[in-house]
Amino acid sequence: MTDTLLFCALAGTAAASALAVTVFRNPVNGVMALLVNLLATAGLYLLMGAPGIALFQVILYVGAVLVLFLFAVMVLDWKTGGPPLVVPLKPLTAGAAAVVLAGGGAAFLAGNRIFPRTGLPEGPPGPGPGIREIALDLFTRHLLVFELASVLLLAAAVGAVLIVRKERKRS
Amino acid sequence: MSLMAVVFTGILLFAVGAAGFVLRGNALVLLLCIEIMLNAVNLVLAGFSRYLYGTEGQVFIFVIMAAGAAAAAVGLAVVAALRRRLGTADMNRINVLKG
Repeated sequence: MTDTLLFCALAGTAAASALAVTVFRNPVNGVMALLVNLLATAGLYLLMGAPGIALFQVILYVGAVLVLFLFAVMVLDWKTGGPPLVVPLKPLTAGAAAVVLAGGGAAFLAGNRIFPRTGLPEGPPGPGPGIREIALDLFTRHLLVFELASVLLLAAAVGAVLIVRKERKRS
Repeated sequence: MSLMAVVFTGILLFAVGAAGFVLRGNALVLLLCIEIMLNAVNLVLAGFSRYLYGTEGQVFIFVIMAAGAAAAAVGLAVVAALRRRLGTADMNRINVLKG
């Protein structure tokens, strides 16, 4: 019962803050709303028995990515110069997106009604996989994926530096 | 807290992120919306990992987090470069790829 209440509160917070990200005009407010969203999602991970994921969510996303976003907002100085950063709503695009999303949700509901819970358990079967099991799995069976992720991060870092570097003057 | 509740939360978050991605013009907000969508996918993966008792879902989440961090770094670099060269980060005003 407590779990359900907590889940509802966290999910509601996550949805509301996600909506706030898309609505706020000022990017700083958007980043702050994303902070709330990420923390609520971390709470959901904890609730789902994945404390390692929640920890990495807080350290990696809140601690690194959001700070990077805030630095970008600060360095790029969104307040001065340039046109207003919110475009008027495009009715056709908005309508198409709404139709697609509502149709997807309805199809999902209908599919769930027609094929009820094929092989999925009703409740969580005991405690989830512990962080030890995940670490063992990550460093034995999925070691290649882990190494590839590190290569990807290195490539991204080098690429980011290359992109933002000032072009040399051609003389 | 059933699996369907988790999946619905994921769908809702993904829909909000996708709507924001389509509707907003600010490049920085676009990146924020991408992060929201990645998080929605992570949430669904964590839910299935819990209910099917597998470790693969969480391994996937680690990889997606790494990809998301890389995307944020490169995306912010692109936004900064756009802002510097074209003077704007409004996606509706950037049309240098238009033929």
